[in-house]
Amino acid sequence: MKKFTRTLLSVGTALCLYGAAAQADTIKIGLAGPATGPVAQYGDMQKIGVLAAIEQINKAGGVNGMLLEGVIYDDACDPKQAVAVANKIVNDGILHVVGHLCSSSTEPASDIYEEEGVLMITAASTSPSITEKGYQMIFRTIGLDSMQGPFAAQYIINSVKPKNMAIIHDKQQYGEGLATAVKNEVEKAGIKPVMFEGVTPGDKDFSALIAKLKRNNVDFVYYGGYHPELGLILRQANAKGLDARFMGPEGVGNPDISKIAGEASEGLLVTLPQSFEKDPANQALVKAITDKGEDPSGPFVFPAYSAIEVMTAAMTATGTTDTEKLADYIRANTFKTTTGELSFNEKGDLKEFSFVVYDWHADGTKTPVQ
Amino acid sequence: MSETLLYLIQQLINGLTIGSTYALIAIGYTMVYGIIGMINFAHGEVYMIGSYISFIVIAGLLGMGMVSLPLILFIALVIAVLIASTYGWTVERVAYRPLRGTNRLIPLISAIGMSIFLQNYVVLSQGSRDVALPPMISGGWTFGDPSLFEVSFSYMQLFIWVATFITMLGLTLFISRSRMGRACRACSEDLGMTNLLGVDTNRVIAMTFIIGAALAAIAGLLLSLYYGVVNPFIGFMAGLKAFTAAVLGGIGSIPGAVLGGLILGVTEALTAAYFPSEYKDVVAFSLLILILLFRPSGLLGKPEVEKV
Repeated sequence: MKKFTRTLLSVGTALCLYGAAAQADTIKIGLAGPATGPVAQYGDMQKIGVLAAIEQINKAGGVNGMLLEGVIYDDACDPKQAVAVANKIVNDGILHVVGHLCSSSTEPASDIYEEEGVLMITAASTSPSITEKGYQMIFRTIGLDSMQGPFAAQYIINSVKPKNMAIIHDKQQYGEGLATAVKNEVEKAGIKPVMFEGVTPGDKDFSALIAKLKRNNVDFVYYGGYHPELGLILRQANAKGLDARFMGPEGVGNPDISKIAGEASEGLLVTLPQSFEKDPANQALVKAITDKGEDPSGPFVFPAYSAIEVMTAAMTATGTTDTEKLADYIRANTFKTTTGELSFNEKGDLKEFSFVVYDWHADGTKTPVQ
Repeated sequence: MSETLLYLIQQLINGLTIGSTYALIAIGYTMVYGIIGMINFAHGEVYMIGSYISFIVIAGLLGMGMVSLPLILFIALVIAVLIASTYGWTVERVAYRPLRGTNRLIPLISAIGMSIFLQNYVVLSQGSRDVALPPMISGGWTFGDPSLFEVSFSYMQLFIWVATFITMLGLTLFISRSRMGRACRACSEDLGMTNLLGVDTNRVIAMTFIIGAALAAIAGLLLSLYYGVVNPFIGFMAGLKAFTAAVLGGIGSIPGAVLGGLILGVTEALTAAYFPSEYKDVVAFSLLILILLFRPSGLLGKPEVEKV
């Protein structure tokens, strides 16, 4: 019996050691975003970027002798679920997170990460209010609505020059934030929108709204929100013979909008981060992603990739995974990444980020507007 | 005609179209409530399943190279109604019948559970993204002075009106003339007594669920043609609106469900027309509360007498 106990003990000890060893060998990186729900395709973009980055870095030997491991969490773009996911990440002992995706999810989750000392880099949340609270641990590798809105507005003022402009949004943090930014900017230039209204996400019938656009002789619509609603608005506006041009942010810029709206999506204007997948320097990476049967062209793929690059570059330079040291290092330095040279301001936002206006086509492709 | 009038006509057309489809779904709620006094929260999901089946059948037939539109719609209608009715019947058999006669809250919870189950089942089997169909019935009439305001009334809208009207007519005839309809009316008056008199009430209740599901499937087909997009989450909102319509018209009353649906649809359209459209739901639901304050049993509902 004594012998048996001893054997048991030694096996137990060995297991403990094994557990500790396994922990020391990998750095777990939480990947939080929608894997289900109506905007799951954006979550996929982020996932593609993060997993590709982890694979590349592991192939090159990992970071400080340790391999990276991505752990996927699904928040379904739902703020309540995002809080649950953030708590779960903390409980799982994960200290480095890429995500969340929807601004309305990122905002409540970032409170938890800040408090628990988890380093979070979002590659997709563009709402300015996320970094307004003076967080230490929260960064992003994507531009802000407060950059994208004015950029879209400048294009409207200088190139579109609409007679009767309407601004529609989906009453969400992201959509309404952008819509307001555009409104403020065009008003400064003397364009007074004839309509500024919200629609309900998940609505299917926009006939009343379209009749109103027609009545106000609207010739240009800026839409702040995501593609499921704009797709239906385009489709119904086309059926009702509304002769207006539409413009939207990156939230509408994915091939699904052409599936929903069909030919009505031809000529839609979309502001997107520049197509990093077209950058000659990234071609090897693009090939690695397409070889796996995945699509490298989504707007969040490369920002997600560069989020991992920033994180690991800081880990290599500081020789630690201590999140406070990493945060200080990220703030103080410039990083050479696939999305260009990134440097962060005090709030954790990128100092510079450039957008491009694209002309959308009915087959789901896009061409940059000259 | 003046521009204001033309605009009003356009918004009434829009509102009546949405309202018709609310009415079709609302009947399922109201019939079930009328007979067993239970709110079937899974009804919106049956509508969603009806939409999905219509989609799959239409896409399949188009893929097989079928071109005759009436034939495609007819086949889609038959299959959607059959499968959705099976769902309606199964839900009743599995989740409600074993709980009949217990506390009222228990079947309600079971219904909510069923709704969540069906939604997630479709998410897992069909994916959570929007699925789209190309426009099937396009074109329409326009009238009014183009320099003022051009009213458009599409063939699709007419199709919805006509289909809703025919369905309602059929249902009214069924309830008022047929043997089964008489049994339904008897059950809604007094379930226990009808049972004592030798009517198989279990069969009548099952039939109610089947009819409700069939109407929801018709609404599913119409709306998937009209909007051209479905996702697994459409059932929740549609169910909520239809339930509101049923309560507004007087839950338990079939003409009430129709009237409630039309009023809700027109209110939404007119609110979006004359106020910022984000107030659409606020106004529609305030109207519901107002009507219930003054007529607690709804517009056409009978005041409920507590049965002893």
